[in-house]
Amino acid sequence: MTTRDKDKEALSALMDGESQELELRRSLDSVEDDDALRAWWSRQQQVSEILQSQRSSQTGLDVSARVRSTLASQPQFQRNPLWSMAIAASVTLAVVMGGQALLPTADLAPAPLVSDIGGAVVPVIGAQPIRASFDARPVPVSTQSPQAQDTGPRQAAAAYERLARDRYLRLGAQHARAAALNHPAPFVHSMRAQTEPPLEVQDSK
Amino acid sequence: MVTASEADQKLVQRAQRGDLRAFDLLVLKYQGRISALVSRYISDPGEVEDVTQEAFIKAYRALERFRGDSAFYTWLYRIAANAAKNYLVAKGRRPRSDASIEDAEAFDEFGLSSDSGSPEAIAMGDELVSVVDAAMQALPEELRAALTLRELEGLSYDEIAEVLGCPVGTVRSRIFRAREAIDERVREQIGGGSGFR
Repeated sequence: MTTRDKDKEALSALMDGESQELELRRSLDSVEDDDALRAWWSRQQQVSEILQSQRSSQTGLDVSARVRSTLASQPQFQRNPLWSMAIAASVTLAVVMGGQALLPTADLAPAPLVSDIGGAVVPVIGAQPIRASFDARPVPVSTQSPQAQDTGPRQAAAAYERLARDRYLRLGAQHARAAALNHPAPFVHSMRAQTEPPLEVQDSK
Repeated sequence: MVTASEADQKLVQRAQRGDLRAFDLLVLKYQGRISALVSRYISDPGEVEDVTQEAFIKAYRALERFRGDSAFYTWLYRIAANAAKNYLVAKGRRPRSDASIEDAEAFDEFGLSSDSGSPEAIAMGDELVSVVDAAMQALPEELRAALTLRELEGLSYDEIAEVLGCPVGTVRSRIFRAREAIDERVREQIGGGSGFR
């Protein structure tokens, strides 16, 4: 069966109200710019009418192109932008909620979790396990003073920057060592990587 | 059973969310019947076309308020009848002698008279009916049975599968193949003229 036949079969199912949501979307995509498929759909509607009523209400008029262009040319009739805004809002909400979950709470002592990435021991500010349940406990909120809230993110940023720098140096050294096994030239870089931080890290200091 | 209203439901819902492609398919489905309805009030083909177009645009504007209490086509017919009525009032004219608002509003889905439209359109419509009948009779039995149960009895694919004793996928395929075979005859006979797209 060709792609065109599959498109038509999907439209045939749509005519009968037997199309699933995903298939409906595909049908709308396929029919959007395909006049032959639109014509097939239109003819099938007329055939269906004839089979059911033994008559045709055909008048020979076709206003579909005019209706389409009129609606498409008027911004208020175009696809509702609220849907894309709703998706963006959902993502934003997820980010905000995720960020809130990282802040310390009043009823849970902020046991300082630590990371040993790169061999360094760095406290991860406010990090705590999150329980996915319908517990009655309220959503965690920050109890830090405004001043502490101001300095908290800066401390966290500095800690992450140190972690990132350590990790960058460690990976760079590993890469240089691996390359040096195959060629003598990268060995020089390997030596530099062990002694010098990268330029952008130097600049950030 | 899958009624025409249920078959429209998914397209209507998508159109209500602003999907013009879904509304386009509804326009393609109903424009013949709507223009036939409008031509019960208005005789000039150009005016019929204008009012039909206006009816669909009004319907799209009002689509958010459609709650599905009635079938979509019933709702659409009422909008088209009012559009035609208002057009005549604005022009200071009366409907064609053979039409009344009550008649038009009482029309069911296929209740339109075949005398709508121009003589050429009527002749084409009659020809199409005979072509479709002949194509239906020429179908292999298994295809004709599946399409008959769907179109004439209004059975769902599940119900047809039960009646015919075959998988739902086979029913879907047979109905499609039956429609393709009929469409081939229609295109051969009519030549894909503009009236039949």
